[in-house]
Amino acid sequence: MNTLLNSLTTELRRGTLTLAVLSQLQTPQYGYSLVQLLEQCGITIEQSTLYPLLRRLEKQELVTSSWDTTESRPRRYYVLTAYGIEIFQQLKKEWEKTSQELSLLLKGDDNG
Amino acid sequence: MKIIGLYIQEVTRRLPEKSREDIALELRSTIEDMLPDDYTEEEVKPVLEKMGNPAILATGYLDRSMYLIGPRYFDIYINLLKIILPIAAVVSLISLIANTIISYSGEEAVLNILLDSIGTGIWAILSTGIQVFFWLTVVFAIIERTDHKDSQIPLTACFKEWTPEDLYNIPYIPKEKAIPKVEVFLGLLWTAIWASIYFNAASLLGVYEKGNNGLEFVMPTFNQEVLLSYWPLVVMVIGLEIAVAAFKLLTAQWTRKIATLNTVMHGVSSLVFIIIISNNQLFNPAFVTYMTDLFSITGDFSTWILWGAIVTFLLFAAIDIYQGFRKAKLQSMK
Repeated sequence: MNTLLNSLTTELRRGTLTLAVLSQLQTPQYGYSLVQLLEQCGITIEQSTLYPLLRRLEKQELVTSSWDTTESRPRRYYVLTAYGIEIFQQLKKEWEKTSQELSLLLKGDDNG
Repeated sequence: MKIIGLYIQEVTRRLPEKSREDIALELRSTIEDMLPDDYTEEEVKPVLEKMGNPAILATGYLDRSMYLIGPRYFDIYINLLKIILPIAAVVSLISLIANTIISYSGEEAVLNILLDSIGTGIWAILSTGIQVFFWLTVVFAIIERTDHKDSQIPLTACFKEWTPEDLYNIPYIPKEKAIPKVEVFLGLLWTAIWASIYFNAASLLGVYEKGNNGLEFVMPTFNQEVLLSYWPLVVMVIGLEIAVAAFKLLTAQWTRKIATLNTVMHGVSSLVFIIIISNNQLFNPAFVTYMTDLFSITGDFSTWILWGAIVTFLLFAAIDIYQGFRKAKLQSMK
């Protein structure tokens, strides 16, 4: 039964990952710092999901990336573009609406 | 550290040339970010485990599907397979049977030929099936990869997305009225068998006797020249049977039209059958004598077998005609 719960949870979270990542890219982040930021908020993301996701977001022109070679180790930094900010705001609204609707539904369930 | 390089190589070798270097650099910096400054190989392993299977990571970068045929085409693919596979199997089987009978020289025992045919028949069906399956799959895999539309909505048999309008194109077929495909195919099989036997009656139908090499063909039942002189009529009947089979496949249910066509077919083939069999030159005189001796039948052997055959033939035809009209008449529940 646990594997079913696991796969349902993964499915439930999958859609929110993009939003979570976008939310943290308002300031420039590199891969590992992003993982840490997300983990601090309790969101675990598979590494094999995150890096390709960042690439995809870049391809969709929601983020831009640049190599920073000033530190001892070169790192690739990602940050939201203007278009990315716009999309992020809309997606955020969409999420807030959804979570409100859902909590209403779930509350109704508790009372019933 | 070597193991990191190997891991990165495992990922990048699956990627297009132009993005390899960039992704390799990023992966290396990411992996090293997760490690302390002075790391050992033992410390690297859990980090790589966290990065996951290189193949999966590479697929993520590729943004390409890990399946051969996706949800958009899967349904139509399966449907086509279901239609084409049985047709291909039956066609290969029919041609094999026809071939075997036509090329039969009359030297081998029929039982041996029969056993051989079962073996080659199974093999023919299997190999045709595998061929069909392979090519259809290849075609769909190519379609899947060349279709760059983002939509994942499954397509219907007309390669369009489903709309309620499509329902009007589906015939409503109640179970009692339906003509099963198996029935049509068996009919075709039967046509192929009797047609092949007809054209090779001289070496197939007749008296077999136990000889030195198993069963030996002694004499044919029919006077082959007389029998074959009716070939235009026989070809006409074959054509009719194939036409009716095709019609049955297309409509897939009994209608008045099909039942009428069925009646015409049976009428014509009965007529042809009676014409052929009532020719008193038809039977090989030697065969008639042989049979009369064997069963010590008093009276005319030809007449006896003639009426038996005609009555049997007409009886089966009549039953089939009746069934056709009965099923066509059944009220479909709407």
